[in-house]
Amino acid sequence: MSAALEATGLGVRYRRTWVLRDCSLSLPTGRVAALVGPNGAGKTTLMHAAVGLLRPALGSVRVAGEAAFVAQDKPLYESFTVAEMLAFGRRMNRRWDDAAAADRLAALGIPLRRKVGRLSGGQQAQVAVTLALAGLPDLLMLDEPLANLDPLARHDVMRSIMAEVAERRLTVLLSSHVVSDLEETCDWLVVLNAGRLQVSGDIEELLDGHLVVTGPDDAPIAGAQVVSASRTGRQVGMLVRGAPPLDPRWQARSPGLEELVMGYLRSPDSAALPKLTGVGA
Amino acid sequence: MIWVTWRQHRAQILVTAAFLALLGMLLLGSAVEAIRYMSEHAPPGCPGPAVACGDLAAALGRRYDAVYSVFGWMPLVAPALIGAFWGAPLLGREYERGTHRLAWTQSVPVGRWLAVKLSILGAAVVAGGLLLSLMVSLWRPVFRSGADSTFGNIGVFNMVGVDPAAWWLYAFALGTAAGTLFRRTLPAMALVVAGVAVTMFTLFRLSDYYAEPARTELSGSVVLDDQDARLVSAAWVEPSGREVADPSDSGCPRRVDAGQSNRNTEAWQACLFGKGYRYAVYYHPPARFWRFQWTEAGILTLASAALGGLAVRSTLRRPG
Repeated sequence: MSAALEATGLGVRYRRTWVLRDCSLSLPTGRVAALVGPNGAGKTTLMHAAVGLLRPALGSVRVAGEAAFVAQDKPLYESFTVAEMLAFGRRMNRRWDDAAAADRLAALGIPLRRKVGRLSGGQQAQVAVTLALAGLPDLLMLDEPLANLDPLARHDVMRSIMAEVAERRLTVLLSSHVVSDLEETCDWLVVLNAGRLQVSGDIEELLDGHLVVTGPDDAPIAGAQVVSASRTGRQVGMLVRGAPPLDPRWQARSPGLEELVMGYLRSPDSAALPKLTGVGA
Repeated sequence: MIWVTWRQHRAQILVTAAFLALLGMLLLGSAVEAIRYMSEHAPPGCPGPAVACGDLAAALGRRYDAVYSVFGWMPLVAPALIGAFWGAPLLGREYERGTHRLAWTQSVPVGRWLAVKLSILGAAVVAGGLLLSLMVSLWRPVFRSGADSTFGNIGVFNMVGVDPAAWWLYAFALGTAAGTLFRRTLPAMALVVAGVAVTMFTLFRLSDYYAEPARTELSGSVVLDDQDARLVSAAWVEPSGREVADPSDSGCPRRVDAGQSNRNTEAWQACLFGKGYRYAVYYHPPARFWRFQWTEAGILTLASAALGGLAVRSTLRRPG
């Protein structure tokens, strides 16, 4: 399994503050990966380092093939018409599928002669995504693609991306601080917390490999690898990795994606990283 | 990339071109009108130094001044505008709008993106400056044959030769560098305006030292007969040959002039000349026109290269 994105010991700092520390990550080709974490976790920094918008202080990050990036505020030249934005993309990229881009915009009902600044937020997001896809990237990175969009526009944008994924071998990495946005579409999970990588893995395997167990707070937890625990009254809820505790008073069930992510975010010292990328983590 | 540069900066390019075209038409119209006036009203042998030519010279002077007052501010304002509208937005606006994250994540590397923009826009700015210089140089002789002042008048000096191009290029580079510094257009524009004004003042002060001043000793008058020379300094020379700033022990009475009159000063000067004093003048003769042009253009071009390098370096080093 080749990697579409590979980071090794990546460290980025702004002045004296490290915003990304010792981050080693390998994203397999063809995956749709969710990059989640609270605000300020380093999601944007990781993407900026990957597309070369900033230079890491330590380590390296490498993209196999062409990368396309849609920044958080979906920047476009507002005085350009949609057609001129396409011309911009055509002239700034080695690979370019003009027909596909025009078709996509036509299907979305976005007129080519309209000024970008006069499009709605959702339409601008669609133009930005269309531009990114028209460059026929091997890796598409979207920073908070769904922020500031209404539910309908969110759905449309995600559908555009997923249609492209279905058509060709495209790896997608999209960040969000809202896990529920990504639950249906992603098959790989990357969790960043306070500049450190906590989780990187196949979502199905992660869900299968974890359990949510609840029981009385005096029950022994022997036999279980606890990721995090939270107490409510005399009850304890825990996210455990692998087998549940031996004591029969514990009740186990499978976690949801959000529970899994929250479990890790609550205890920054826990990590679920494959051996391959866990070097030094 | 060339199309992208054109599309993003065409407003500045078109406005500048339109402005130069308008100025060109104004100058052409003014020159044609002046030539027609001369052919109808000039006495034989004019224009020239003859007394009969005085009226014609005055009439031409009025025409010249009327047009000159329209664009006489250009040596200072034109570079400031170029820097503010060509230079400052080049990177400042991209940072401000976040579009640098769009432009710099395409296949074209940042270095090439910047190199193409800087070279195309820089070349256009230089061409614009040279065009201005050419137009002014063609227009002025129509009015000022014989009595030229392209050297002594610093305002005119900065509008002819290669200097306008150098000034425009400098302002453009300054604006570009300011744009990367502030990452905002408006503060960068303000810095350009201030920077151009300060640079112009500094170079004006500095220009005395572009060459060793020529020295000449006058007797009978304190006015150099070459009107186009640049005066650097002057001093009185005692009969013994010693230069003094203030000949206080000459024995000539010096009374204070009242109002507009300088009768007393002239009497004092005549007295000094009568006692064998001479007046030493240090100046740059107009023959040094090109030497000064190239010196100033050289300084500005070097500064432009340094500022451009600064902009490139900060763009490549810490984008984001």
